[in-house]
Amino acid sequence: MIPSLVDVLVIGGGATGAGILRDLSRRGLRCLLVDKSDMGTGTSGRYHGLLHSGGRYVSKDPIAARECIDENRVLRRIAPHCIEDTGGLFVATRDDPADYVEAFPEASAACGVPCEEVPLDELFRREPALDRSIWRAYRVPDASLEPWQLIEANLADARAHGSQAVPYQRVVGMTRNGAQITSVELHDERSGSLSRVAARMVVSAAGAWAGRVAALAGVELAMSPGKGTMLVYNQRMTDTVVNRCHRPGDGDIMVPVHLVAILGTTEIRVDDPDRYGISREEVMALIAEGSKLFPDLPRMRLLRAYAGVRPLYQLEPPADPGDVRGISRAHVVIDHEQRDGVRNLVSIVGGKLTTYRLMAEQTADAVAAKLGVSVRCTTAEDALPGADDRHYYWLGHRLAEHEHQGGGDAELICECEIVTRDGLERFLDEHWPCSLDDVRRGTRLGMGPCQGGFCTFRAVGAMARRGTRDGDAPGRGADDRSPPESGAADDAAEEATLAAFVEERYKGIRPIVWGRQLQELWLTTGIYAGVLGVGAPRSAPQALVSGVNASRVEPTPGGRDGQG
Amino acid sequence: MTIDALVRAASEEGRGQPRLGHPATGEVGFSADECLKCNVCNTVCPVMRVTDRFPGPKYVGPQAQRFRLVTALPPQGKGVPAVPSPDLTVDYCSGCGLCTTACPAEVKIAEMNNRARATLRATQRPRLRDWLLGQTDLLGMLGTPVAPLANWVLRQPLLRRLVELTIGIHHQAPLPVYAGRTFRSIWREERRRHGGARSAEPGPDRAVVFFHGCAANYYEPGVARAAVAVLERNGFEVIVPPQVCCGLPMISNGRYRSARGKARRNVSVLADYARRGYRIVGTSTSCTHTLKAEYREMLDLSDDDATAVAEATWDICEFLLDLHEQGRLDTGFGRLEQELPYHAPCQLRSHGIGLPALDLFELVPGLRAIDYDHDCCGVAGTYGLKVEKYDIAMAVGEPLFRRLRASGASQAACDSETCRWQISAATQLPTRHPVEILAEAYAAGDAEAPGRGGAGAPARA
Amino acid sequence: MARADVVVVGAGLAGLSAAVGLAEAGARVEVLATGHAATHWAPGGLDVAAVPGTETPAAGLRLLAARPQHPYALLASHVAPALAWLRGVVAGSGLVYVGDLDAPIRPVPTSVGRTRPAAILPEGQAAALAPWAPDERLLICGPLGFKDFWPEAVAAGLRRPEAWPGTAGPARVDAVTFEPPGFRGTRNHNALDLARAFDDASWREAALVAIARAVSAAGPGPGRVALPACLGLADHPAVLEAARATLPLEPFEVPLVPPSLPGLRLYRALREALRRAGGRLQIGEAVQRVDVEAGRVVRVAVPAAARQHLVATGALVLATGGIAGGGLLATMDGRLEETVLGLPVEAPDADAWLAQDPLDPQGHPLEAAGVRTDGQLRPVDPTGASGGAALYENVHVVGSLLAGQRYLRERCGDGVALASGHLAAELLGSGRATGRQSLAEARR
Repeated sequence: MIPSLVDVLVIGGGATGAGILRDLSRRGLRCLLVDKSDMGTGTSGRYHGLLHSGGRYVSKDPIAARECIDENRVLRRIAPHCIEDTGGLFVATRDDPADYVEAFPEASAACGVPCEEVPLDELFRREPALDRSIWRAYRVPDASLEPWQLIEANLADARAHGSQAVPYQRVVGMTRNGAQITSVELHDERSGSLSRVAARMVVSAAGAWAGRVAALAGVELAMSPGKGTMLVYNQRMTDTVVNRCHRPGDGDIMVPVHLVAILGTTEIRVDDPDRYGISREEVMALIAEGSKLFPDLPRMRLLRAYAGVRPLYQLEPPADPGDVRGISRAHVVIDHEQRDGVRNLVSIVGGKLTTYRLMAEQTADAVAAKLGVSVRCTTAEDALPGADDRHYYWLGHRLAEHEHQGGGDAELICECEIVTRDGLERFLDEHWPCSLDDVRRGTRLGMGPCQGGFCTFRAVGAMARRGTRDGDAPGRGADDRSPPESGAADDAAEEATLAAFVEERYKGIRPIVWGRQLQELWLTTGIYAGVLGVGAPRSAPQALVSGVNASRVEPTPGGRDGQG
Repeated sequence: MTIDALVRAASEEGRGQPRLGHPATGEVGFSADECLKCNVCNTVCPVMRVTDRFPGPKYVGPQAQRFRLVTALPPQGKGVPAVPSPDLTVDYCSGCGLCTTACPAEVKIAEMNNRARATLRATQRPRLRDWLLGQTDLLGMLGTPVAPLANWVLRQPLLRRLVELTIGIHHQAPLPVYAGRTFRSIWREERRRHGGARSAEPGPDRAVVFFHGCAANYYEPGVARAAVAVLERNGFEVIVPPQVCCGLPMISNGRYRSARGKARRNVSVLADYARRGYRIVGTSTSCTHTLKAEYREMLDLSDDDATAVAEATWDICEFLLDLHEQGRLDTGFGRLEQELPYHAPCQLRSHGIGLPALDLFELVPGLRAIDYDHDCCGVAGTYGLKVEKYDIAMAVGEPLFRRLRASGASQAACDSETCRWQISAATQLPTRHPVEILAEAYAAGDAEAPGRGGAGAPARA
Repeated sequence: MARADVVVVGAGLAGLSAAVGLAEAGARVEVLATGHAATHWAPGGLDVAAVPGTETPAAGLRLLAARPQHPYALLASHVAPALAWLRGVVAGSGLVYVGDLDAPIRPVPTSVGRTRPAAILPEGQAAALAPWAPDERLLICGPLGFKDFWPEAVAAGLRRPEAWPGTAGPARVDAVTFEPPGFRGTRNHNALDLARAFDDASWREAALVAIARAVSAAGPGPGRVALPACLGLADHPAVLEAARATLPLEPFEVPLVPPSLPGLRLYRALREALRRAGGRLQIGEAVQRVDVEAGRVVRVAVPAAARQHLVATGALVLATGGIAGGGLLATMDGRLEETVLGLPVEAPDADAWLAQDPLDPQGHPLEAAGVRTDGQLRPVDPTGASGGAALYENVHVVGSLLAGQRYLRERCGDGVALASGHLAAELLGSGRATGRQSLAEARR
C-alpha cells in the first residue's frame, strides 16, 4: 500500500497538505501524502468554518486581506460545492471604537475587499437576532466553507493525477545522509506495522506539528501553537457570517455552518498541540463576548465546544511570549536547504484555511523549482471534482433532497442530520472498511443535538452487517449468518469504535454541560447504560470494560473533533 | 457581560422575555433548542399513527427547524432555491397540538409546524381550495339566504365529486348544514321582542360579551341560543358586538396575512370591552383559543389590545365552571338520565384548562358523562375536508367512531364544531355542544320544579 | 380555580404510583406533568437493586438500605408491599410482572448485543430470565429494515462470553430476519408502528407466520427467540399469547431505545388505574408557580392559553424526576436547581460532576444529586441549616428527585420510585403526613 519510492512525500492531511498534493500531482509528479490520523482531523477540521473575505485583516494585515479576497474568489470558482454563500457582515456594537468603524470601508477598499454599508433597518430585517444597539453594518463577501469536503475534493483530484493519500501513517523517523533525507519511516497507527518510503523531496505541511516533523530531520523549527476555542450552537441564529467591526479579538465572529452556528474564538498559547483543555471560564468568556452580537446567546443551546491549534510561526521572538494574537497569520514557505542545510525538505507554516490553495501553490512552486519541474500551477483555474454544477450548497439541501426522494419516509439512521439508511450504506460501500468517525465526517452522522446518542448504535449495527468476516460483501437477509467463532475479534473492534466515538463526543460536551445538554447527556447515558447495557454496572463489572479496553484503539490525541 | 449577568440572562427570569428575531418562527422556532430527541411526540401523533405520508412531529418539527433559514426572506446566494422551508411533508401535520402537549422539554412543535406551513404556502402557488376553506364568513353569508338550495347542492353526490375533482374538497367530507337564519338575526329579533336594547349596558359583573364565531352564527344557532340562555339564567346580560371570523381557518391554511386582517378587526371591537372588564365568552373552543393564543403566538399581534382581548377571553364551559367555583352558578339542573359519551377536542387541550365540561356534567343529576379519551377525531378544523387528507382524518377518528357506534348512546358531546360535524357524519350520532346539554338540564329542572329558575336570580350552590 | 386534595407533579412511575394510591384512598388527585418522559423512555422492568456482589434484588436492597444517605434507608420496608400493590394495579390492564425480590439477578440480552442485569420483568420479557441449558440456542429475530434492532449486530455481541458475566450464555446465537407484512423495506418505522400493527389481529397472524417461518428456517433444536419489544400496545397480552402459541421457540421481547413499548404499556396501565380510581391527569401542564402560605403549599399555577390555570391543593407530591426527567436543571455556573419549588439541592461541586469516561461503570458522581427529605419525604435543607425541619409541611418528594441514589450504578430507580410513591400515598391518604391535616380537612 505504501510505495517505496515517490517524487514527493507530503506530511499532513489537512487542507494545505491536500492542496499541495493536488498541485504537485497536476504538475506531473508522483506523490504520497500521509497523516498520523485521518485526513482533516487536525487544525483544518477544527476551525470555525469561515471563508474569509479579508475584512478581518484590512487594518491589521493588508497583505493577508488581499490574499484572502483573491483566494475567496478562486475558491468560489473552483469549490462552490464546499461553500455556502452566506455573505458576511461587519457590525459595530457599542463597544467598538468609532474611528475603526468609520475607517473600515476605506481600509477595505485599499485592500480590494468589496464592502458596502447596510442600512440598519435592512440589517435587522435580515438578521433579527442581532443586538439592536448595533449602529453600523457593512457587507463583505465572507462565506462558510466546509473543510472535509474540500480536503476530500483535493485528494480526489490528486488521486486522479496518479498520487496517493494514506491516513493513519505517523512519521516516526527520517534517515539523513548528509544534506539529504534518504528515507522516511512510517508507523501504521492501526496495524502497528512499519514501512519506509524514499522521496526526492519531503514537504512538511504538518501545521502546528511542523516543529516535530522538522525535529525528525534534525532541524529546529520553533512553532507557537495558538489554541482557538469555538462553541457550536444547536441552531443558526443568523444566516450570515457576523464579525465585530474592531481589531480581531475573542468571541467576535459567528459563522453559520450547515445546521449549526459556530462562535469563535479564543486565542491562547499552548506548548503542546496535543495537550490542551477547554475550561468553563473560557466558554463563559466567549459567550459573554458573543452576547454583544447576539443578546440571546446565553439562552441558546450549545452542542459542544472544540478547539483547534493554529500553526503560528514567528520569525522573530515576541516581546510578550503569551501574546499570540500579535503573531502574524501570514504563511511562510521554508526551504530548509538555505536555512538548515537539508537539501530536500520544505516546510509550510502559518496561514489560514482560506489561503490554503495559495500556500499550496507557493510550496509547490518551491518544490518544483528544486526538482527542476517547469510545469506551472493550474489549481486556481480548474474546478475541483464535485463542483460540476457550479452551485453553492444551501442550508436546506439535505432535507429537500430527502423529501424529494422518500417523501420524508425513508429510513433515518441519524435523525438530527438526516442520514438515511441508503445514504449510510452508500457511504460504507465507497469507504469500507472505515471507522465510525469517518462516517461522521463523511455523512455528518452524530453531529446533531443528541451528539450520536440515538444513531451511533444504529450505525454500528449497519457496520456489523458488513463482512470483514466473509469478504467485503454487505450481508443482508436471513442467511448471512457468520460462524460464531470468526466474528469475535471484529466485534471487539466495533465495540472499541463505539466506545471511542461516544467518548469523543463526550469530550466536547463536558465544557458545556448545563441545561438541556446535560439532560440530553443524562438521557443518552441512561439509554446506553440502562436499556442497552453498554458500560452498565453488573455483577462482574470488569468483564465488559476490560473487553473494551483490551482492544481499544486509542484515539489520536487532538484528532477526531471538529465542527459538528 | 459578567458571568452573573450571563446566568441571569439564561435563567428563569430571562426566560419569559421574548427572544429577538427569527420572524419566520419567532420564539416558537427557538424552542427547537429544547428538543431531547426522545421520540415522545411521535408516540402521541394521531396522524403518524395512521399514515406513512407524515414522517411525524419530531421530523417536521424540531428536526426540520434546524434546516430552515432564520428569516422567510428569499435567500441571496447563488444556486439557492427560493424555498426557505425545504420540507413539504409538514403539510400533513393536522395541527392538533398533541405533540406540544406531550413534549417533556416544552418544544412548541405544532406551532413550529404551523409557521413552517405558512412559509411553505407563501412560496407556493396559492390554491383555490385553501383560500376557500379560509373564507368561513363569506361562505356563511353566501349560503344562508339560499340555505335550502345550498344544503341540497352540497349533498348531491355528483356535484360533490365535481367539487372534489376541481377544488379538492373530499366528496364525503363532513360539511355543515346552513341553518337558513343566522344567530345574529335571530338574536336581534329576540332583543326587539323583549323590548329592544337597554338604555345603558350593565357593568362587567352583570354582562358578558359573546363571541359566537362562524359556526354558531351560520350553521348551529341553537348552540349560541343555548349559551345565551345559560348565561342569562345565571344573571348575565349577553352583549353581541359586531365580529368577523376569528381567522383560524386562514391560519390553518397558511394565509397569515388575511388572518391578521380578521384579527385586527375583532381586536378593535373587543379590546374596548376587555379594557372595561367585560369577559368575552365563546362557544367554539377553536375561536376562543385563537383569541387567547394564536393572535399573539401565530399572528404576532403583540400590542396591548390583543393582550387585553386574550386575557379577557373564556371558553363557555371554563367560564361556567369558574362561576361554580365562586359559588355563583345556578345548579338547578334537572335530571338527565343518560350515559353521555364525551370527546374532548384537541383545541380544548391547548387551552390548558382541563376538561371543564366534564366537571359541569357532574352537577347534572343522572347524567353519566364518559370521557372517551381518544386523541383526535381526525378532522382538525379543515384538515379532514381535503381530498388528500380525508382518509387520514377518518382513520385517525375511527377508533372513536367505532366505540361510539357500539355505545348505544343516543347522543354525544363535544366542545368543537368541526369535531361535532365529523363525529356526527361518521357515526350518525347527534353530537352536541356541552352548553346545549346544560340548557337542556336547566329546562328539565324547570319542568321538575316550576318557578324555581329564572333569569337574574342565580341560586346559590 | 380548581380544587384538589393532592396535586402530584410528574407522571412517571413515582408520581403515578402516588396518584393511583391516593385516588384509591378516596382523595381528589390531580396529576400535572410537563409531558411524558420517564415511562416512555424506560425498558419497562422493575429494577429494585442490582448491586455488584449481590445475587438478588432483596440482597441489594439490604445493602443499599444500610447506607444512611440512600433513599432505601427510609424506604426499604416499603418496597415489597409497593411491588405487590403495583402488580395488582396493573393486572387490571392485563400487564403481568414476573419475578420478585428474591429472584436471582440474571443477565438479559439488550438490543445492541450486550446484557443488563434484571430480576423482575414484564411477562413479555420474562423468558429471558431463565438460565441457559447447555444445548440451548438463542435466535435473534428482527424485522427487515428496522433501524432500532440489527439482529446480526445483536447476535455478534451476544456470542462473546463477556456478554454473559458470571453465567453460561446460550450454546449458540444466530440472527434471522423476517419481512413484516405490508411494511415497505425502507420505511422509517419505529417500534410503536410495529406494535400498533401487531394490535391488528389479522396483521398479527401474518407477521407471526413470517416470524415462525424465519425461526424454523434456522434449524431445529431447543432454544428461545428474542424479538424487538414491539409485540402490541393496546392488545399486548393477546399478541404475546398468540406469539407463544405460534412460534416454535419461546419468545421474549428485548427493549429498545425510546419510544419504549414496555414503558408505554406500564404508563397506560397506570393511567387506566388512575382513571378507574377517579384521579385526574393533565399532560402538558408545567407548573409555573407555587403559592405558599405559612409553610404550606396552597395553590399551583399551570400555564393556560392567555392566563394561568390555578389549582388549590391540600398537599403537593413532587415527582418531577432528576436531571433526565427535568426535575433538576443545571445552570451555566455549575449549580443544580430544583425546577418547581427551588428546593435546595444536594450535589457535588461542578468540577466533580462527571466521570472521565462517559460510560464509566461506576456512574457519574452527579447521579446522586437530589433533594434530601425527612422521614416523611418532606424536603429539608441538605446542609442542615433548617435543623432537619421540613421546609414545607405538605410537600412530599418521591422518585428520582430523591438524593443519594445512583440509579445507573445501583439500578434502583424503579424500586425507589415505587416505594416512595407508595409511601407518599400512604402518608397523605391516612392523614399522617402532617399530624393534623387529613383529607377531609383538606377538602373542606
